[in-house]
Amino acid sequence: MEEFQPRIVVFACNWCSYAGADLAGVSRIQYPPTTRVIRVMCSGRVTSGFILEAFRRGADGVLVTGCHPGDCHYISGNLKAVTVVQQTVQLLQLLGIETDRLRLEWVSAAEGARFARIVTEFTEQVRALGPSPLRNTQHAIRYR
Amino acid sequence: MSFEEILRQTRSILCLDCGKCTGACPITRVDPTYSPRATIERVLAGRPEELIKNDYLWACLTCRLCTVRCPSGVDYPAFVVAARIEARRAGVEGTYAHNAVMQELMGLMALPVRQNRTGWVTEELQVATRGDDFYFVGCLPYFDVVFADLGIASTDIARNTVRLLNRVGITPVVSDDERCCGADLLLNGDEAGFRKLAELNMQVIVESGARRVIFSCPECYNAFRNDYPRVVGPLPFEVVHLTGLLAGHVGELGLGELEETVTYQDPCRLGRYQGIYDEPRALIQAVEGVELVEMAKSRARSLCCGSTGWVHCGHCSREIQATRLRQARATGATRLITACPKCRIHFTCALKDMEDEISIEVEDLTGLLVRAL
Amino acid sequence: MSEGPRIGVFICHCGTNIAGHVDVAAVEAYARTLPGVVFVQRNLYTCSEAGLSEIRRAITEEGLGRVIVAACTPRTHEPLFRETCREAGLNPYLFEFVNIRDQCSWVHMHEPERATEKAKDLVRMGVARAWLLEPLEEQEVPVEPAALVVGGGMIGMTAALSLAERGFAVKLVEREPQLGGLLLRLDRLYPTHEDARSLVEKRIAQVQASDRIEVFTSSVVTQIKGFVGNYEVEITTLQQPATSNQQPVTTSFRVGAIIVATGARVLRPEGMYGYDGQRVITQFELEERLRNGTFEADRVVMIQCVGARIPERPYCSRICCTTAIKNALQIRARRPEAQVYILYRDTETQGTRYEAYYTQAREAGIQFIRYSLQQPPEVTGERVVVYDELLGARLGIPCDFVVLSTPLVAHPDAHELARMLKVPVDEHGFFLEAHVKLRPLDFATDGVYVAGTARWPAHLEETIVQAYGAAARAATVLSKDRVVSSGIVARVNERLCRGCGRCVEVCKFGAPSLVERASGARVARVNPVMCKGCGACAAACPTGAMTAMHFTDEQITATVRAALDEWVIG
Repeated sequence: MEEFQPRIVVFACNWCSYAGADLAGVSRIQYPPTTRVIRVMCSGRVTSGFILEAFRRGADGVLVTGCHPGDCHYISGNLKAVTVVQQTVQLLQLLGIETDRLRLEWVSAAEGARFARIVTEFTEQVRALGPSPLRNTQHAIRYR
Repeated sequence: MSFEEILRQTRSILCLDCGKCTGACPITRVDPTYSPRATIERVLAGRPEELIKNDYLWACLTCRLCTVRCPSGVDYPAFVVAARIEARRAGVEGTYAHNAVMQELMGLMALPVRQNRTGWVTEELQVATRGDDFYFVGCLPYFDVVFADLGIASTDIARNTVRLLNRVGITPVVSDDERCCGADLLLNGDEAGFRKLAELNMQVIVESGARRVIFSCPECYNAFRNDYPRVVGPLPFEVVHLTGLLAGHVGELGLGELEETVTYQDPCRLGRYQGIYDEPRALIQAVEGVELVEMAKSRARSLCCGSTGWVHCGHCSREIQATRLRQARATGATRLITACPKCRIHFTCALKDMEDEISIEVEDLTGLLVRAL
Repeated sequence: MSEGPRIGVFICHCGTNIAGHVDVAAVEAYARTLPGVVFVQRNLYTCSEAGLSEIRRAITEEGLGRVIVAACTPRTHEPLFRETCREAGLNPYLFEFVNIRDQCSWVHMHEPERATEKAKDLVRMGVARAWLLEPLEEQEVPVEPAALVVGGGMIGMTAALSLAERGFAVKLVEREPQLGGLLLRLDRLYPTHEDARSLVEKRIAQVQASDRIEVFTSSVVTQIKGFVGNYEVEITTLQQPATSNQQPVTTSFRVGAIIVATGARVLRPEGMYGYDGQRVITQFELEERLRNGTFEADRVVMIQCVGARIPERPYCSRICCTTAIKNALQIRARRPEAQVYILYRDTETQGTRYEAYYTQAREAGIQFIRYSLQQPPEVTGERVVVYDELLGARLGIPCDFVVLSTPLVAHPDAHELARMLKVPVDEHGFFLEAHVKLRPLDFATDGVYVAGTARWPAHLEETIVQAYGAAARAATVLSKDRVVSSGIVARVNERLCRGCGRCVEVCKFGAPSLVERASGARVARVNPVMCKGCGACAAACPTGAMTAMHFTDEQITATVRAALDEWVIG
């Protein structure tokens, strides 16, 4: 049987984490093609609504990434992401969705290797949990 | 539904253009450019697409103050909800409050999730997994998380409800598999989502063997009474709001004494939708020492708490809440009692921004009763 | 499906960087199936002039309303492609970047099939987002080529002169009747032992000789409005000499940038170690006596960290160790037989010069005795009793004078200035820079900078460097004719705004503010020039009234859905 390939939505802030992801590429560090990155200006832009939307649409995992504390391009947007992720974790608990499917990580623009390592680890973590029970439960128009 | 059909079913074709609705509308009070009359006229004139694209469509509170006044019996809120369903079909949605987190939760509950939503049940409470009475809790556990910043625990209402039910000899069923009732999805125009939630709830309740469902939330209660039969057929169980149930068992509650003056907010869906005005008041007055004083507008003329459906909760909502809170303060009451968890959330939120002006405690009716036990 | 935009997709091979690992032909074929896509082209290098002219041509000839480039990373190439769209008459914010190199072909080099699938998904996400993109306008505001420097001490004067030399007008505001600040009252400067007063007087003369610097003494800033390039400042001047019946004079002017150089003050150790200002004095008071030549003593005990590095004031004031050494050496220089004891907790004399300075003090016979916070020295009559940590014994030191090294503390009115400037102060009342390492002289608020001990205690040479630095930072604004805001800013739907102020609370840049509606109710307004587009306000807004343009809820939600193979728009 073919190995389960998780579908992971990544929110990455423009200044640190997205740049870190780029650096992984520039350094040719290989990681599994399980992520789809959505760029935001700041991790403080991410809301519970976006994270829950991803799970509702069948994401197997959601990874929120931002600048390290103290490094936020916007001073402290990343700390708001902490609150949002904590709140979302509580909601996932109520909903009975494994909270290990959601992760918050800090990745600086210099940490290409770290980005790759986090994606690799998180992919394994989500793979161990198996496919989201909410996969293929929506009836939207499909392309492809 | 075609707009012709909507106009007919909601009796909007009978509109006399008299404008009593607009005169009564709390939104119009704040924003005079909003007019229920003109909204209906626009569709009667054959231009429903204008309504669908206009964000006014999402302004209506569906509070029914206009319906009470309408000489032709036009059901404007029903017209609005039907129009929202059409709008959504055309890809138009309202602006959701709280980053649409409530809509996401409702959407998720319509999927095969296995919730853990009964964590609020504490040891001293007697609940069951099967039985005659099903307590439909509603979204209270989720409110605890989403509205943590308001400093209120909505699940207090659930705990208080069970305590009160236990007092009158009822051990209710509570279920992890209960879903949101879907009323707010319907208000958002998401009929398919509402239908899905209704079906899932019916399954859970029927499987519990319940013959009666008890509600602490008027919106859930109204959804089951008014909206569920349309999508799931006649209900195979009785539905009752907690206030109605307890009003018949006042003696068994063993209420003590409290020294305070309170006023009471009629939730739209308990009052104007279901005609329950007397029971909550009777329960309040059953507590010895509690003086109930009425606000300038009460019972059928009561003013809405200013927000419904977690949509379009803006400037008008805020002004309506401010008006209502001032009315409450003007009674001299120290507490504003409501029988709806959402009224409590909305008033508490509004009070947060008015701390320097108004000081009044917003409390759920169950809170008052439990304090008096 | 309603009529959507005409979308063009350009897929870059990047030589073999992308095409070597991703089946670009398959991606092209897939892109053609996506809704709204009317034009797809592959380029060897989309960023080459050939590629760019293809984009311009397609915008014109194909009537493209959106352009997507699937290539490297927006972090390097988005400005180029945006500009290309602009040249062809397409609003640059209708351009969308899809990263299929740095975050796809380069990181999945051994999995071409799955890399190709991912590239398709990323293009689909880009198309979903492109549907919802909106044209945005950038705002331009002219810059007032003048600066306000608050504080007429050494640092403020240095910054003012530095700006004046660059040709900018400077308004220099000093609360005291004369310029010069704390240095006026010091004796000599470490480690060179040059005269503090003559140094500062020279600087005062330079300031007074400058025709670009307008000096306001006995003046305080009373109001600041506006934003980068356009601050409106009001100051109030008390006429000198002060008389009881005079009216303060108010002056208003416009500046493009502001430098905070308000300095700090010396803690008066009231109630500590028998401080009386006579025989138990501060280092600061000692300096005045040394300068006047009125200091006479045979035995002096200096106590370090008085009121510093204690629970209620945990920071190190940085300058006190070197100051004590300097003054000890000065006492010895004037009276070689004098005994000087320095009671310290830790001696911080960093760097090559100050370490040598410390050695010099030891060589000169200055006694260093270590005490601990738990057992502080006691000043009793003519003696100081101290438990010597290293010796493990109590020592009684007879002395004529006790000198207390007290820290620099923030001015109590720093809070008021910070409030006017909408910039933060730290828990000690010192001004807090935007980033300790990356933006040490900036505030988050554009056009406002900080230098000197207003920020935290520092040596004079460090603060002089800060003065030049802050002047250079201010010049980056003042040297421009206009400030241009990005189109990526927050926007308020006033109908949905409750005026709760959550946006004002979360914004570190002062962009949103609450104003009154005609009805008296409050509503948020965003100054686009001050907004950085981070979107934190949109996330914090409870009603959805605040929209982060270019990163709207709808755009992000559509991208999430597209990422997960769903298509709901159209």
